[in-house]
Amino acid sequence: MNEFLEHGLNQNRRKFLSKLSLGIGGLALGSLMVPGIFDASNEEDLFANVLPHFAPKAKRVIYLFQNGAPSQLDLYDYKPMLQKMHGEELPASIRNGQRLTGMTADQAKFPLAGTKFNFAQHGANGGWFSESIPHIASMSDELCIIRSMYTEAINHDPALTFFQTGAQVGNRPSMGSWVSYGLGSENKNLPAFCVLLSKGKGNGQGVYSKLWNNGFLDSIHQGVQFSSGEEPVKYLTDPEFIDRGDKRKILDEIASLNQEAYNNIGDPEIVTKIQQYELAYRMQMAVPEITSLQNEPESIVKMYGPDCLAPGTYAANCLLARKLSENGVRFVQLYHQGWDSHGNLPAEIVGQCKDVDRPSAALIKDLKQRGLLDETLVIWGGEFGRTNYCQGALSKDNYGRDHHPRAFTIWMAGGGVKPGVFGETDDFGYNINSLPVHVHDFHATVMHLMGVDHEKFTFKHQGRRYRLTDVAGKVVNEIIS
Amino acid sequence: MDSKKLSQWGEWCVCFLNPLLLLLAIYSEASKSNTILLWFGKLHPLVLHFPIVLGIAIVIYLVFFQNNKLAESTEKLVLVGNALMASMVALLGLFLSKQDAYDTDTLNLHKWGGLSIALISWGLIYLKNIATSIQKIIALTYLLVLLFFTHQGAILTHGENALSIPSPEVKLAEEVKTVDSSLTVYEKAIAPILAQKCVSCHGPDKVKGQLQLQSPELIIKGGKNGSILNGIQNEEAQILQRIHLPNTDEKHMPPIDKLQLTLEELTLLNKWVKAGGNFTKKISELAKTDSLAILAMAYKAPTKGSGDNGNNAPDLKQYNSNYLTVNYLFSGSEEIAVNFFQGSFYKIEQLKNLEKIKDKIVSLNMQGMPITKEDLAIILQFTKLKKLNLNYTKLTLNDLQPLKTITSLKNLSICGMDVNQSTLAKFLEKAPFTEINIWTNYSSEKEFQQLMAINKKVKIIIGDNLDAEIIKLTSPIIDQDSSIIVTSLDVVVKHFLKGTVVRYTTDGSDPDSLTSPIYTKKLRFTKNTILKTKAFKPGWFSSDMVQKTFYKSEIHPDTIYFVTNPDKKYPGTGAKTLIDYELGEQNFSNGKWLAYRDTTMKFVIGFKQARPLQEAHFNAFVDNGSYIFPILSIMIEGSNDGKEFKKLNEARFPSLKETDVVRENKSFSCSIPAGPAYKYYRFTLLNLKKLPTWHPGKGTPGWIFVDELFLN
Repeated sequence: MNEFLEHGLNQNRRKFLSKLSLGIGGLALGSLMVPGIFDASNEEDLFANVLPHFAPKAKRVIYLFQNGAPSQLDLYDYKPMLQKMHGEELPASIRNGQRLTGMTADQAKFPLAGTKFNFAQHGANGGWFSESIPHIASMSDELCIIRSMYTEAINHDPALTFFQTGAQVGNRPSMGSWVSYGLGSENKNLPAFCVLLSKGKGNGQGVYSKLWNNGFLDSIHQGVQFSSGEEPVKYLTDPEFIDRGDKRKILDEIASLNQEAYNNIGDPEIVTKIQQYELAYRMQMAVPEITSLQNEPESIVKMYGPDCLAPGTYAANCLLARKLSENGVRFVQLYHQGWDSHGNLPAEIVGQCKDVDRPSAALIKDLKQRGLLDETLVIWGGEFGRTNYCQGALSKDNYGRDHHPRAFTIWMAGGGVKPGVFGETDDFGYNINSLPVHVHDFHATVMHLMGVDHEKFTFKHQGRRYRLTDVAGKVVNEIIS
Repeated sequence: MDSKKLSQWGEWCVCFLNPLLLLLAIYSEASKSNTILLWFGKLHPLVLHFPIVLGIAIVIYLVFFQNNKLAESTEKLVLVGNALMASMVALLGLFLSKQDAYDTDTLNLHKWGGLSIALISWGLIYLKNIATSIQKIIALTYLLVLLFFTHQGAILTHGENALSIPSPEVKLAEEVKTVDSSLTVYEKAIAPILAQKCVSCHGPDKVKGQLQLQSPELIIKGGKNGSILNGIQNEEAQILQRIHLPNTDEKHMPPIDKLQLTLEELTLLNKWVKAGGNFTKKISELAKTDSLAILAMAYKAPTKGSGDNGNNAPDLKQYNSNYLTVNYLFSGSEEIAVNFFQGSFYKIEQLKNLEKIKDKIVSLNMQGMPITKEDLAIILQFTKLKKLNLNYTKLTLNDLQPLKTITSLKNLSICGMDVNQSTLAKFLEKAPFTEINIWTNYSSEKEFQQLMAINKKVKIIIGDNLDAEIIKLTSPIIDQDSSIIVTSLDVVVKHFLKGTVVRYTTDGSDPDSLTSPIYTKKLRFTKNTILKTKAFKPGWFSSDMVQKTFYKSEIHPDTIYFVTNPDKKYPGTGAKTLIDYELGEQNFSNGKWLAYRDTTMKFVIGFKQARPLQEAHFNAFVDNGSYIFPILSIMIEGSNDGKEFKKLNEARFPSLKETDVVRENKSFSCSIPAGPAYKYYRFTLLNLKKLPTWHPGKGTPGWIFVDELFLN
């Protein structure tokens, strides 16, 4: 008798775990079509009144992730001292014995490399911008530039994982997955978390699906990666001989079979699958309108640059991101590869900026014009910064920079951030002088802008509670308007 | 038929039924329930009254009317009738007991009691020969048996207090008026659950298993099986066992035909018991992140009637659909945000439905919805609106005039709406907005200033005037991966921007915006062609030129072999790789490329019969980031015997500059001056032996990647 009792208890415990991990947002999907799945209204009520914890400023996020680590010294952090001391050795007092990365550790000398580009101040807050990013510079009044970001990771994989999941080890849910779990998608016809990839010509580092993975949350919160080809979402149209009504019936039958399987086995992945089929069915209606970039008016094309019509480019992804976001996608993440300029930086960065400058600025302008900027948070940045000393041979016009996690720049716009320049680095751009912002603090702040208390928003897994900020992170109130 | 025959038949029935009853009762565990029999069992409560009444009458008769006895045959009829009915009732009772819904102990008592009633009734038929005093004793015993065991039956249906004086209803705590975290977990969440789902059978009215659950003292006191919290230390508390059993188990609580616990309630009970089943711990004493605290706070005790929940905010689920989201701004807020999506699914009824919460809606997004003045009339009822998005709706500015009456409306977006200076001016007068997004290109700064002056409170956000800026077009895309023409090759040229004119040349000259042919449909090439394309559009700078060379491989060598082997990592498919008509792709490790680094590339082609060659083209890959550099030089030698070679020509090619950033196919050609024909030709392709100092790999040799050779 006891074994049966045990089995009965286990069965239900598993059910609790699975249903609760499906999360608040996830409950909204799918349950309409397969009524028996969740008992009546009570599960949604379970969490419906718990998130957001307080009034959100940003309802949606567009994260323009610059993969490979753009050089802040050649874009945003103007250090004339480096130009003055170009070629001289990095003073020991500045480095102060802090460790070097693996690639330059063997270098005998660390000659400082001043930026080859001209900088100028723009906007009311006097932010400095390089000549390679004129369009971003023109949006200076909207930007909240944080020059004092820092992280511990010195190489790409751990640093990327840190930025996306809140820990250098893998297997944690990504930022977008947490947001999807907590807040769900505004529009039930689109995924809550979308990922768009593009590649620049510069030295690239890979991106991989670990970065938008759902970790231990239910797999319905995984980022949906759009394809870079001409069809961002494939197989949208049904085959000729199936009409939508038939499709509906097929899906209903499959759902009831899956439901039976779920009752027998209890595997939460089955529920995810049912919900994904439902989402795909609804996406068939919602997506074609969004991905048909051809119908955008010419003024929009001019604003983003004509590249925005070529699928798979950063510009096209920015335009697609705006369309997804205005249609209710909670978290859109772009990755643009090619910023890892260990060598030949001036040539590579110009190419990268050409890809990225116009569309990034256009995205902010576009959102503002539609009245969406105050509820959309736009983030631009990489996984760490670059060194002020040269990696490889230094010449008058050419240099490379190694990874520098101790101080780098990102900017944010919209969604409740205060425009301005925050945080200062020292004259050599090596250490932070004021307002250090750690990756955890960054996560805490983004969560705060979305109305979520990062310390309260947890998930219990393997015996302990996890959260995006793990056990650290403080909200940076200075940048919140 | 006469009464004697009747009683005779009756007697026989009774004699048959009673043993059957005994048998069934003893072996009742073994028998399975049958739907038909179960239905008959339902008649038990109906017919049981007859033998009870008759039984009592018989007892009264036997005790008090010994002197006025009825006729023997009548007496026999009555006795037989009573016995027959008693056994029938007992039989039906047996069927009913299979239904599984009754407390087993009482049921057992009643079952055997009922059987004994039937048996005694049977015995009564033969009573007449016994002494009257003994008859009276038997009758009285019979009465007691009758009353006691049928009372058990009453307990089965009406609980322990079936006969007791009704006590005043124990009023459980009224629905909690405020979400007060100074409440204990028990008061806020556990007690209401027990009240709704358990107390009806384990409470003041019915005390099944002698268990009452309406107050902490009674819960601790427990019932027949002790307290439901027993075993709490080993996580096997009774209550947990019972509520977690499969629904089909007979011990599952609540019983399957009663209202079941919801997942939320199960979780709450689970967590509360596991945390110790504490009755006095306040919610505020728990950690804020404790799931029990969160769930207890969120739990809304169901109240009769209205769909209102504990914190006085109506549930918004009914307004939501796949194309409409209606949510509170945040937890605990009373303000509501409404979003419409997918214009093709819009129905005005959904908007009308929102009238029920019209005073709470502060934000409304109707971008792209096909709305008319009718919909606007509904929107005008949302008098607390703060933000309204009407982008790309077909309304006109005039239609929107009444919006100005909503004084709380601060933020209005009307992109895509037809506006001009005068309509806008009229609209801005006395408007309550602080921000309005109109997104119209303004050609005149002066006009814009005039507008701003009309209502200084309103910030007008317009679009960028980009008409003045001229941008360069992106290049056309030559959509044909292959460069090799076998017999013929179709090439498509694309450009994404509508209205662009693509001009092309095939004669080697640069495309001109006036004279070069315009691309309209796909081009077909049958011989070596250099295709050059350029895009033009009025109002835009012309694009860069894009070109691609297509080769017709006319001459196919009969043999080909390596003198030096390619690098181990990139062997391709042997020497054949160079003449297999397959081009390698950008992913140079895909096995279709030959690569050389440490050795110089050298190979020989042979023909069965000597023949002259004019040109040799190589398709190579260049990627500075991957250390793959252009071919440094090509040397061609000829031979007739395969051993002695004569140099025919050498071509040198420029290497990459420091600023070059390339990753693409490149072709390298070397011509052969007119001369004698040879059977064998040897090619030597030099790679850069030392990468330049500016390159990260300086000093080490660069790669060359080659995949195809074309000969004319």
